[in-house]
Amino acid sequence: MTDINKHRDKFPQKNPDGTNIIDLKSGKFIKVWQGPNHPGITGNMSLELTIQGDEIMECKTHVGYLHRGFEKLMERRRFIQCLPICVRIAVPEPDFNEYCLTSTVEELAGLKIPDAAKWMRTLLLEMSRLQSFLMWIGGQAGAFGLGIIGQWSNYVRDLVLDRFEEITGGRIYHMHMIPGGVRGLTPDGFEKRMEETLQEIEKVMKDIETTMFNNSIFKKRSIGLGYIDPSMVFEYGVTGPNARAAGIPKDVRKDYPYLKYNELDFDVITGKNSDAFTRADIRRKEIHLSIDLIRQMMVKMPKSGDYMAKVPNVLHWKIPKGETYVRAECTRGEFGYHTVTDGSGYPRRINVRGPSYTHAVALMEKLAIDVNIADTAGLMVSLHTYPPEIER
Amino acid sequence: MKNLIERLKKQFKISEVVFQRDNEIFLTVEKMDAVSMITQLRDLEGFTHLVLLTAVDWLEEGYFQLTYLLNNYEKKTDLGVRVKIDRDKAEMTSIHHLWKTAATYQRELKEMFGIDFPGSPRVDESFILEGWDNIPPYRRDFDTKKYSEETYFPRPGRKTHDPAEYMKKKLYPED
Amino acid sequence: MSFKDVLKPFTAWKNLAIEPVSIKKPLERQAAPRYRGFHKNNLEKCIGCGTCEEICQNAAIDMVPLDGIETKEGDSGLRPMIDYGRCCWCALCVDVCTTNSLTMSNHFTWVDTNADNFRFIPGAENKPWDNEELGYKKPENYELNNPYRVEMVEIEPEQRDKSFLEIVKGFSKEQAIKEADRCIECGLCIATCPAHMGIPAYIAAVRNDDMEEGLRVLYETNPLPEICGRVCTHKCESVCAMQHKGDALSIRWLKRYIADQVPAEKYKEILETENIKKNDKKIAIIGAGPAGLSAAYYLALLGYNVKIFEALSGPGGMTRYGIPEYRLPYDQIDKDVDYIKSLGVEFQFNTRIGKDITLDKLHEDFDAVFAGTGLHLGRSTRIDGSNHEKCYQAVDLLRDVADGKSINVEKKIVVIGGGNVAMDIARTLARLQNQKYGKVQLIITSLESEDIMPADLEEIVESREEKIIIEPAWGPKKIKIEDGKIKGLHVIKCLSVFDEEGRFNPKFDENKKEFFEADMVVEAIGQGMDLSYFSEEMQSRLEMTDRHKVKVDNNCQSSIPWLFVGGDIVAGPDVISAIADGHRAARGIDNFLSQK
Repeated sequence: MTDINKHRDKFPQKNPDGTNIIDLKSGKFIKVWQGPNHPGITGNMSLELTIQGDEIMECKTHVGYLHRGFEKLMERRRFIQCLPICVRIAVPEPDFNEYCLTSTVEELAGLKIPDAAKWMRTLLLEMSRLQSFLMWIGGQAGAFGLGIIGQWSNYVRDLVLDRFEEITGGRIYHMHMIPGGVRGLTPDGFEKRMEETLQEIEKVMKDIETTMFNNSIFKKRSIGLGYIDPSMVFEYGVTGPNARAAGIPKDVRKDYPYLKYNELDFDVITGKNSDAFTRADIRRKEIHLSIDLIRQMMVKMPKSGDYMAKVPNVLHWKIPKGETYVRAECTRGEFGYHTVTDGSGYPRRINVRGPSYTHAVALMEKLAIDVNIADTAGLMVSLHTYPPEIER
Repeated sequence: MKNLIERLKKQFKISEVVFQRDNEIFLTVEKMDAVSMITQLRDLEGFTHLVLLTAVDWLEEGYFQLTYLLNNYEKKTDLGVRVKIDRDKAEMTSIHHLWKTAATYQRELKEMFGIDFPGSPRVDESFILEGWDNIPPYRRDFDTKKYSEETYFPRPGRKTHDPAEYMKKKLYPED
Repeated sequence: MSFKDVLKPFTAWKNLAIEPVSIKKPLERQAAPRYRGFHKNNLEKCIGCGTCEEICQNAAIDMVPLDGIETKEGDSGLRPMIDYGRCCWCALCVDVCTTNSLTMSNHFTWVDTNADNFRFIPGAENKPWDNEELGYKKPENYELNNPYRVEMVEIEPEQRDKSFLEIVKGFSKEQAIKEADRCIECGLCIATCPAHMGIPAYIAAVRNDDMEEGLRVLYETNPLPEICGRVCTHKCESVCAMQHKGDALSIRWLKRYIADQVPAEKYKEILETENIKKNDKKIAIIGAGPAGLSAAYYLALLGYNVKIFEALSGPGGMTRYGIPEYRLPYDQIDKDVDYIKSLGVEFQFNTRIGKDITLDKLHEDFDAVFAGTGLHLGRSTRIDGSNHEKCYQAVDLLRDVADGKSINVEKKIVVIGGGNVAMDIARTLARLQNQKYGKVQLIITSLESEDIMPADLEEIVESREEKIIIEPAWGPKKIKIEDGKIKGLHVIKCLSVFDEEGRFNPKFDENKKEFFEADMVVEAIGQGMDLSYFSEEMQSRLEMTDRHKVKVDNNCQSSIPWLFVGGDIVAGPDVISAIADGHRAARGIDNFLSQK
């Protein structure tokens, strides 16, 4: 990293809030666009960068390339019909949408779900975290030029998707959680195949740790990049690994134990340095934590029993007027659904709180300042953002 | 939590308090009191995390409901502060000075609901809908089906039949 | 950072020696057994209810006719066509399918150059996956609807077998809404209902707790909801799509629920019949049974001056004189009839056409005549001893009970017949036996074996609960008479009732005999019509059908133009067909008179 401050006189002067004073007419600045096609992240969004030399002086996030109006569409769908839509709000990690939507609906309808369904949902959420982290690690490594990591991690991610396929019948969009429970328990022999998968992941993770985390290129580029000061965590609504890397042990699974997380044994992983490397390291540890949690669940989970509560006819299911918010800890941080009902058969309003909403816009715009243009992709992936949840 | 509500009630005009869960409360506050109450909640009561800011269009009743969902990280509690604002004169004091992220929410609300937050950074720039020339689309009076029928065209050749109508045609057309 | 960090990444080279992990032939990869791939549909099982289309949030499903699939009762003849350009493979259509005919295979690869080929009717186009065992099916113990009906509360047998109190209590509001919630609104029932009532619409009204709307829907096609809500043969329930999942909806009880909730004095306001403009045309109706009442109602709505002539002393026809009070209380008949009366319909009781007034006279005095005289003549078995004075016809006895006449019940009774009338008279007599002797000694013997007995199942069950003995599959041979008194009934085993072509042609085993002791025998094997009120000249002009019913056109107009005929003498016998006839006749008469 170049130390800009050493040569401060050659750079624009700062505003009190840390932004640069930019005079485009001076001819010293160039505007470039990074994106919208895949600027190193999953999905489409773009950064409008004002650069001087190869340093970013100003960054503006632009979204809108993926907007399909899901929140609005759900307002004219019956509650059950929202499910096939909601999963598309966070493509690589759709299960959190299912969970948050079904549990707000259940809460407002006063529906209790069976124990086996809770276990099943916990398993699906944790598997989803695992595969999402595996996908992320490929992206993060790729953004710093380590293309091979993505090949390896996607291979094991595919194995997790195979396990999803076994349980739910779908690889990406599982749609396994339904208001009232889930659509089935694990099939015969699942534990054995899951264990094989986990062992394969551990094997690949060992390789990844050697080639990525013990790699001078990766270290050189990521250490010190995108420092999030702990004081920014609340100001910018930072959650998940991004906040934990700053030493703040924010983890919805521990803070508000949902489903069966209070019956599982785990500690919140935190870091100190709050830069891209620390965040990557936390996510690496999260992968091992997910593996451990899945192993715990394989032992504790019931293999049979009711998994669906009695629901009224879903074709004209009316839910009393109310408002609630349910959150869960997805790979990127706090994921939540704010659902408002008006007593009719359709939701009045569903608002999705995706962690990328804060991370990719306000936070990214702040962190990108003074960053080398080649590091923007790495920085963005280190915040782990999924554009579809910004513009539901 | 109950104490907090009692304390707030002494200072602000609060109504419709709903204890949704043990650690989640929704309440409605008068528009003029809202920002000062939110500031107080953030600075004195530990509600340091703005979870989300969203709006609900109660078209029939003629108002927008803003929900500021605040989270007290230490005490692990959530407080949903609802503010009702007039639908015809949709305007609300900005809170971008309290949380940096608030500006993004407010920019989106301006675009999607047409609720103005004067003074909020870049509030008038389009956020998602570049080149949009219709009414703010998340308002209830914006009909998505009508819009899509006018904007797109269905695949030709599709035709469906209502079972009851079809049976009437087939089995007892004269009745 | 250390020198190690520079060297370590080179360990990645070891992968050069490792076999690749990629799938060699991805198109041949077998998906998981639960995979949600291309749809399969069992076309025989599918009833075309369209619930799949209803739940599909992508609007990917169209219900379309298909060659070789016939539209018939309980099957719309339509089958789902899926547009895979829209389908998102969520499988909610599989979950809600009422018949479980729609499932998914685990096939997911298919290449075609024509996009239109990706829109097809599963099961009808011989796709490679049609016989694939694996794939997503609706999981066990998982329902997106309640498959079972809300149980109807009835008075316990011990409390009901001595009195004529109504047995069925009717739904509470909570129960009715819960039951109405089960309806999927496919509308398959409408075609089967003889009156084509708007069943899904009035069930929706129950669900929305909008009784006024419910009543309006009922009266569009049925002016006797209290009667029908209790004793309708509910053919609709026999085709209800939900029966494939569990129980059919309790359509009849929901109809009763609506009618029970609305007080009689509000009817006119709700149905907006306070100011009907009268015309000067006059219509005579013979018989105040369901057909006549229905015709009178719809004619009155059109402004006609209607007068009903009834031979007996009260209105309702067979619903009053053939159905016992414990099934249909008289005050409920009166509620329906009084509303019709309030529209200005005149009633003249104790007037038998053909005896007190001739049909020709009616023709002179009125612009048109509707006859719905019903089946009031009991059929006899004509076995030895059936002309004994203690051998009765069920219809005669039921009429006497309804009229309040006392009946001389004996200690031991045998009822011949296996239909609902046999059950009605048996249960009526059992109550009278209980009142008089404190115990029941009554046998019902039918030609049919129990599995094909025409009586409703609940009638059979309830009869047994009331300590009536049912002896199915016996043919009556002879009534034993000693010293002028009935001693019992000789029967022989009946092997089969219908022949291979489905015609009535009973076969007996003469060697298998039985004797049922009795002091009284009641025959309930069917009824015939009494057309003696037609003059000979008229009877010769009146065309009959092959099944010995009066022949009418679709508007119930007989071969004598001014004479419209309906009810049991045309179709049925059942209440709802009669009501439908009355409605049609009203329309026919209106057409006939406006053309004149």
